[in-house]
Amino acid sequence: MKKLLALVMALTMIMTMAAALATTDDGKLTIWTWDPTFNIAAMNIAKEMYQKDHPDVEIEIQEVLSEDIETNVTIAASSGDLSTLPDILLVQDNSFQKFATNYPEVYMDITDAYNFDGFGEAKVAYSVLDGRHYGIPFDAGTVVGAYRTDYLEKAGYTIADLKDITWDKLIEIGKVVKEKTGLPMFSGQAGSVDSIMIMMQSCGESLFNEDGSVNLKNNETLKKIIDVYSTMVKEGIYLEVNSWDEYIGTLSNGSVVGTFQGCWILSTIMSLADQKGKWDITNMPAMSNVEGATNYSNNGGSSWAIINGKDTDLALDFMQLYRNVDFYNAILPTTSAIATFAPAKEAPAYTAPNEFFNGTPIFATIVEYTGHVPSNITGAYYYDARNAVSTAITNALNGADIDAELANAEDTVNFAMGF
Amino acid sequence: MREGAFKKYFKRTMTYLFLIVVSFLSVFPIYWCFVSASNTTAEILGGKLLPGSHLQENLTNLFAQADVLTAFKNSTVNTLVVLVLSLTVCSIAGYGFEVYHDKAKDRVMGLLMLSMMVPFVAILVPMFQLFSNLGLMNKTMGFVLPSISTPFLIMLFRNNARTFPKEIIEAARMDGVGELKIFLTMFVPTMRPTYAAAATITFMNTWNAYLWPRVIFKQNSAITMPMLVSNLMGGYVIDYGVVMAGVTICTLPTVIIFFILQKSFTEAIAGSVK
Amino acid sequence: MTNTAGQPRKRLTMHQRQNLVGWLFLLPATILIIWLSFYPMFRALLISLMKGKPTALTFSDPLFRNYQRMMQDKVFIQSLINTFTYLIIQVPIMLVLAMIFASLLNRHDLKFKGLFRTCIFLPCATALVSYSIIFRTLFAYDGMINAMLMNMHILKEPVNWLNSPNTAKAVIIIALIWRWTGYNMVFYLAAMQSIDYSVYESARIDGASATTQLFRITIPLLKPIILVTAIMSTNGTLQLYDESVNLTQGGPANATITMSHYIYNTTFISNPNFGYAAAMSFVVLILVAILSVIQMKVGDKR
Repeated sequence: MKKLLALVMALTMIMTMAAALATTDDGKLTIWTWDPTFNIAAMNIAKEMYQKDHPDVEIEIQEVLSEDIETNVTIAASSGDLSTLPDILLVQDNSFQKFATNYPEVYMDITDAYNFDGFGEAKVAYSVLDGRHYGIPFDAGTVVGAYRTDYLEKAGYTIADLKDITWDKLIEIGKVVKEKTGLPMFSGQAGSVDSIMIMMQSCGESLFNEDGSVNLKNNETLKKIIDVYSTMVKEGIYLEVNSWDEYIGTLSNGSVVGTFQGCWILSTIMSLADQKGKWDITNMPAMSNVEGATNYSNNGGSSWAIINGKDTDLALDFMQLYRNVDFYNAILPTTSAIATFAPAKEAPAYTAPNEFFNGTPIFATIVEYTGHVPSNITGAYYYDARNAVSTAITNALNGADIDAELANAEDTVNFAMGF
Repeated sequence: MREGAFKKYFKRTMTYLFLIVVSFLSVFPIYWCFVSASNTTAEILGGKLLPGSHLQENLTNLFAQADVLTAFKNSTVNTLVVLVLSLTVCSIAGYGFEVYHDKAKDRVMGLLMLSMMVPFVAILVPMFQLFSNLGLMNKTMGFVLPSISTPFLIMLFRNNARTFPKEIIEAARMDGVGELKIFLTMFVPTMRPTYAAAATITFMNTWNAYLWPRVIFKQNSAITMPMLVSNLMGGYVIDYGVVMAGVTICTLPTVIIFFILQKSFTEAIAGSVK
Repeated sequence: MTNTAGQPRKRLTMHQRQNLVGWLFLLPATILIIWLSFYPMFRALLISLMKGKPTALTFSDPLFRNYQRMMQDKVFIQSLINTFTYLIIQVPIMLVLAMIFASLLNRHDLKFKGLFRTCIFLPCATALVSYSIIFRTLFAYDGMINAMLMNMHILKEPVNWLNSPNTAKAVIIIALIWRWTGYNMVFYLAAMQSIDYSVYESARIDGASATTQLFRITIPLLKPIILVTAIMSTNGTLQLYDESVNLTQGGPANATITMSHYIYNTTFISNPNFGYAAAMSFVVLILVAILSVIQMKVGDKR
């Protein structure tokens, strides 16, 4: 018995000692981000560019998934031990307010330390809390309407017919397209309210009031949008699928005419080699009868946060690259990460015509759109409200009364906020 | 008589038929996963069920995107350490709870059982505090410690120890054999099927562990196979062919381990007791 | 008879010694569990009485506010009902199937045993990613299951399996049975090995049928291990998370969300509410504990 215990103890000790201790030198930055083909690839280029001028600075880019970054920030902040966090980390724009509200001590207030001129207004708004800046914008989630021109042609339309239109017009076109090609115009994941939220933001509206209180029950814009959405689903213009991979499947199988989605979807589309030249992009439809409605919106995208108590000077110096047109020009060909920094649209990689999309210089076009996107309020309870609205819409599509459902949803969010 | 033989033959055929159908249903998703490793995203989402020609391309992309060798090595080391420590600690405890059982020990057992009933999410924050105070972040031991003593394995060994004849222990004691020696030389060999089952389950659980390693391991060099696979799914564009190639590599060890260990489940133990 | 004076004393010390060794055997496992489960659990219990931001938790007033709150939380009650629906339907079916498979595979005259065993065990070794994608694909609106059932004229028109409350629950139950039956079978098989085969042989000579053997010999002898699997499955189902997240995302409209999924959302997805999440976790703990005690009372008579 003693021998066994001793053995276990010895093993434990050996293991503990064997695990290497990481030493932190001066002039070292640690960065957390995800996606080797996108954020990480862009960061690697930034690292190379920075080290050219600062060969003594060590930069370590660690691959951590978005949800794991959130988990780790939550855990580290609530245990009061920030030492395990990196110097810089990437945050999804929709989660930014939630984290900045709950853990203000984690993120550095960079209002006076960073220049935000040139970034899209709506983009910057994601990481602003009480007038203070906590994030440096990175990639755009600017919404594009991407359509298969070959299908449109069959129905007697061109991409120009879809530019600057309203949803009423789109439904009209959608009915003709459905009749001529048998295909729905759009597809999307049932229960995920991505499409609804995109339409909301295109009107500059959100699920919350200015004062942060929830706004669902008497939200006329939301009701109009749900009405448009339900009409499209019922007319077969918008196909609801059950999961993300089914949604991607509808694009890759060519079983839908198009999609309105954050511009990052274009990378997926461009990976479908057999569909080259069959796509083109324009802006998304706008709501009619809603004040402030536009043809522009946003979905997705993320921003960098600098962590307090680390080497913040070095981190800020490094992050100046994200205001550098050359940097955006360098990352575009390999990553397709589209800048929210307006001057980048003049860069050669942005103005080059794209053969996949009938020669449209899609990247410059998207940066152009970014400037028109209305900002909206996300707030700390964004996901609570989203889930509640999702439930309401699912029930409404199954025949429940939408007013009652939205009142219910508002209660649910208020319930969550009642703490 | 002939009718009886026919009936028997019919029953046997039905048994095989039933097992074949069940096996087919069980294997299908793994088969699909392996096959998908050789297909493109469009083919996978289109429901292709046959092997394709993109295996090499997917593997090349996988190895270019992720450090598969490091992840595989880390997962192997972590799992082996847990396996050795866990089977040792839990089997001796399970044996102890059964062979020396009295009211007090039964109560302790009941108490230990409680510990597996809390959802892990609930203790994640206190666990993190504990481990970061102990300086066990990014350490193999930080990953290993919580998985060594599991009430489930203790219970498994305790309940299977009931089938271990008490007379053998008594006889050995009469002969003056020490308690630890009884355990090591008599109980352990007899319980080979149980050890095999426990090893299979522990291997599977440790190899596939996800949430805790994510919290403990932050360095790229500490990445494990399940972390690697989910990293492949984190971006805007998911290359399902590459994901499936990663999943295949991640799944194979469990399959192989089970195939090797399952022989022990069927070993006749009658001989080894004597 | 001769050594009358020394015998009782020596026996007592030997018994004491054995008792001590027994405690030593339990010690490493017990210490680890107390340190790494009970201590964090106690901390979590304290958190369950608190409210506020994760970095500024204060005791709530009244102290049990988080617990009272659950009764008014429609999503929590929905998740409770869902989880118990899974438990009541899935666990019995799964354990019976596992027993049937194990006793079939334990027959000495069966060929290709190893192959069948491996096949049936494989589902629980299948990575979550591949199995959730394939289940979603199989049960998609234009998926294989609909095509098959329509070809066989069982269905007239396709069913949107994952998008209506009852069928989505059914898919989750099917997925669970598929994934965990082989896992439980492994324990039954391991336990069956410790039953002497001659018992079956003499039973067969006495004319007992396979069914009689199963109910009269196998099941009574396997009672301890059946208890283990029943408790484990109950525990696993009440803490169900993966299927709800990966197959249905809890939808449609929370029709399939489980308690653990909701607890996870409350901690990490929604605006974090640690106190409430911890309180819900303790409700899960209490429910599992009650069910386990009932099962032990029914099945664990020495």
